[in-house]
Amino acid sequence: MEPLTSNKSNSYLTFKLGEEQYAAHVDKVLNILEMSKLTHVPKAPEYMKGVMNLRGAVLPVIDARIKFGMEPTEYTSNTCIVVLDVDMDGDSVHVGAIVDSVQAVIEIKTEQILPLPTLGSRYKAEYIIGMAKLDERFIIILNMDAVFSADEITKLKIGADTTPIADELAAEETSAETATGEKTE
Amino acid sequence: MDDFRTKFIEEATELIEKMEDALLKLEQAPDDENLIQLVFRVMHTLKGNSSMFGFEQIEKFTHNLENIYDMVRNQQLELSEEIINTTLACVDHLKNMLDESNYEDSDFMTTHNGLMAKILYIANPDANSMSNAGSPQPDAAGQNPTSSDEQATFYILFDPNDSIFANGTNPLYLLDELAELGQIKAYAHFNRLPEFEAYNTDLCYTYWEIFLSTDKEIDEINEVFIFVESDCKLDIQKISDVNILHNSKFIEEIEHIISTKNDVGIANALQLASRSTSQVKHAKAEVVKKERINTRDKNASSIRVSSDKLDSLMNLVSELVITQARLSLFDSQHDIHGLTPIVESVQKLSRQLRDLAFGIVLIPIENLITRFQRLVRDLSMELHKDVEFIAEGTDTELDKTIIDNLADPLMHILRNSLDHGIEDTNQRIARGKPAKGTVKFKAYYSGASVIIQISDDGKGMDPDTIREKAIQKGIIAPERKLTKKEIFDLIFLPGFSTATKVTDISGRGVGMDVVRKKIANIQGEVDVDSELGKGTTISIKLPLTLSIIDGLLVNINKTSYVIPLAAIKKIYAIDKDLIYKSFNNLITLDGEQIPFFSLRKEFDLPPSEEQLEQIVMVNFEDNYVGLVVDYVEGEYQAVLKPLGRHYKNNDIFSGATILGNGTVALVMDTNKIIKMFAHINH
Repeated sequence: MEPLTSNKSNSYLTFKLGEEQYAAHVDKVLNILEMSKLTHVPKAPEYMKGVMNLRGAVLPVIDARIKFGMEPTEYTSNTCIVVLDVDMDGDSVHVGAIVDSVQAVIEIKTEQILPLPTLGSRYKAEYIIGMAKLDERFIIILNMDAVFSADEITKLKIGADTTPIADELAAEETSAETATGEKTE
Repeated sequence: MDDFRTKFIEEATELIEKMEDALLKLEQAPDDENLIQLVFRVMHTLKGNSSMFGFEQIEKFTHNLENIYDMVRNQQLELSEEIINTTLACVDHLKNMLDESNYEDSDFMTTHNGLMAKILYIANPDANSMSNAGSPQPDAAGQNPTSSDEQATFYILFDPNDSIFANGTNPLYLLDELAELGQIKAYAHFNRLPEFEAYNTDLCYTYWEIFLSTDKEIDEINEVFIFVESDCKLDIQKISDVNILHNSKFIEEIEHIISTKNDVGIANALQLASRSTSQVKHAKAEVVKKERINTRDKNASSIRVSSDKLDSLMNLVSELVITQARLSLFDSQHDIHGLTPIVESVQKLSRQLRDLAFGIVLIPIENLITRFQRLVRDLSMELHKDVEFIAEGTDTELDKTIIDNLADPLMHILRNSLDHGIEDTNQRIARGKPAKGTVKFKAYYSGASVIIQISDDGKGMDPDTIREKAIQKGIIAPERKLTKKEIFDLIFLPGFSTATKVTDISGRGVGMDVVRKKIANIQGEVDVDSELGKGTTISIKLPLTLSIIDGLLVNINKTSYVIPLAAIKKIYAIDKDLIYKSFNNLITLDGEQIPFFSLRKEFDLPPSEEQLEQIVMVNFEDNYVGLVVDYVEGEYQAVLKPLGRHYKNNDIFSGATILGNGTVALVMDTNKIIKMFAHINH
């Protein structure tokens, strides 16, 4: 992460996939929609759930769980579509991401964002900007441009390990007792 | 002011292009006066415009250039190849001059001064005539027999009263005056002459029927007779809006009537005239065609509209079509008295509006040709190859967006043809081919598509060489067997370039893969066919338009899809057992064996529960293929929306459209669907 300019907002939208909390910078988020009927596109990858009509334009919708290599689940009343504006080779492209639930918009200061842990090589660094620890929970800040412009399933971790990243980080933190994670409030 | 400058640059660019076009034609026919005039006129306009908008350099430059052509058209200077070459170089330079930031570039100024000196040198040997430059040639138009365009032909019956001599009028003077207005044929009738004994020399017995071709108005003819109006019977009528006095048949027939000592009369005159008029016009049309000057552009009254406005218009029409679909749906769901006829009118109107709006954004492919002609001309000189460029079907019209995106790939293909395709003159002669190579550009309509073919009679491609190269580059496995077509298809793969030597002209790292990609971006397909020693043909298939298509709405597993109507031949109802029990995917319809694909099956959906399904027969290559759907919903005007970059690998759908109920329906690309499924099944 480069030092941020003062006028860039520190607001992030947090959302949940399974037990994990993720955050996306609000600049990337255009809209949050309720889950609605999608038109399935045959012969597309499984995570490409289909297309929908967003104010007259055709919006491709991606199931974030499948995209991250997680087990798909039934959609509930909490399931949302987060409409993102991602950068694909220099072009701005709109895409919808299905998430289990949207949490809140929170402030994360630049200095609160921690780099990937020492064992970072186990995570795909290109997809993750960093972590932030809020209320004893780790939030993974995603690089939405990289995640949603990639053409494949973007597993955040290398290998078949499915332990939630936050748990792992918490465990790591307690064992390593590093002074990097400054608590907020 | 900036606004005006933009407009000037826009207009100047167009003028320069026009000049380039005329120059290339002039090169073929250096004696064509019309073309010389055209070049002169365009330069003159450019000069005027640039002085008006303060582009002094351009003004000065074109002024000197114009002088040369003024001398050429006054036959003080012969149009040599050198002049044309220099002018073309100037044309290129003028394009650069439009960008004023170039003036600071020293290279640019060297070119500028060099060209300027050259122009002055060409004009110099006859420096005295320079003083004449710009002044119009007196009488040139009046005496020029070919300038009959604006002339009309009149029939005049002049029947003086017998007492006309009494006030000193000499009818013959009137005829002379008429003759000054244009070209005349006058016939005097003497049938009222009495016997010699009864003849009174103070009386006028003669009357005239006159045919006059002139560019003057009828009022001016009347003026000739203004002093004798009360002393004669006069009938002046326009019988044709062209000069028909050149038409020998017309004159012959008139003279035939005269020889029988009868009057021609207005009725006969009109009848004969109308016949000749069409002949004259026809002949003229042919002449124009030969000159290859597009009169259509000249005559059509047109206005200039920014392409942004057209884009907005198309967007609005698209929105209207979608809204209209919603209205139709609403109407079908609600029983409101009197609504249906209104909805139907709206539907009809929006369809007409759509077609009209389409017509506006379609432009002839001709707009590209000048550039290509120039490219071929310059390249063949550079490569020392003698190449003729033939363009056919240049009036074929395509969506503006498509044309804009077509230029680069086509240029690349042409470069390839010239650089790698056409052999050196010596080689050609050695192989028993005509010394002059040919590159042919051909465009034509085929259904709802436009096909563009670029073919050369060069050395062609060797499938074996391509195969070896592909193996060497690891693109294909050595043991793989490929058909000739599949081998040629390899040249479109990234990282494949057959040129052993990278030249400046082609093979700059951008290969045929880029061509294919660019053409795919505008929904087009590229194919190549080649015969070793005979030449190569590249065919590009393009949709007529990218925005709205007529489609058939079909339903598969409760989801609507659109099949382009242009591809559809017939629809049949069919028992599902016939589909699911078929082994070889063949079905007999109307006594013919037709291959088919069940879209449910191919889309990985469960079989239908209904007993009856429908099969839509679509064109595929030169045959028909059936696509099985649950049922056909009806016709639908689909506003095509892109599926987006995330579906870029999914090319079996050319886009999506929004239905009246707000859901999205996918638009099938039947060719790609059939290709894909045929490939999987084999």
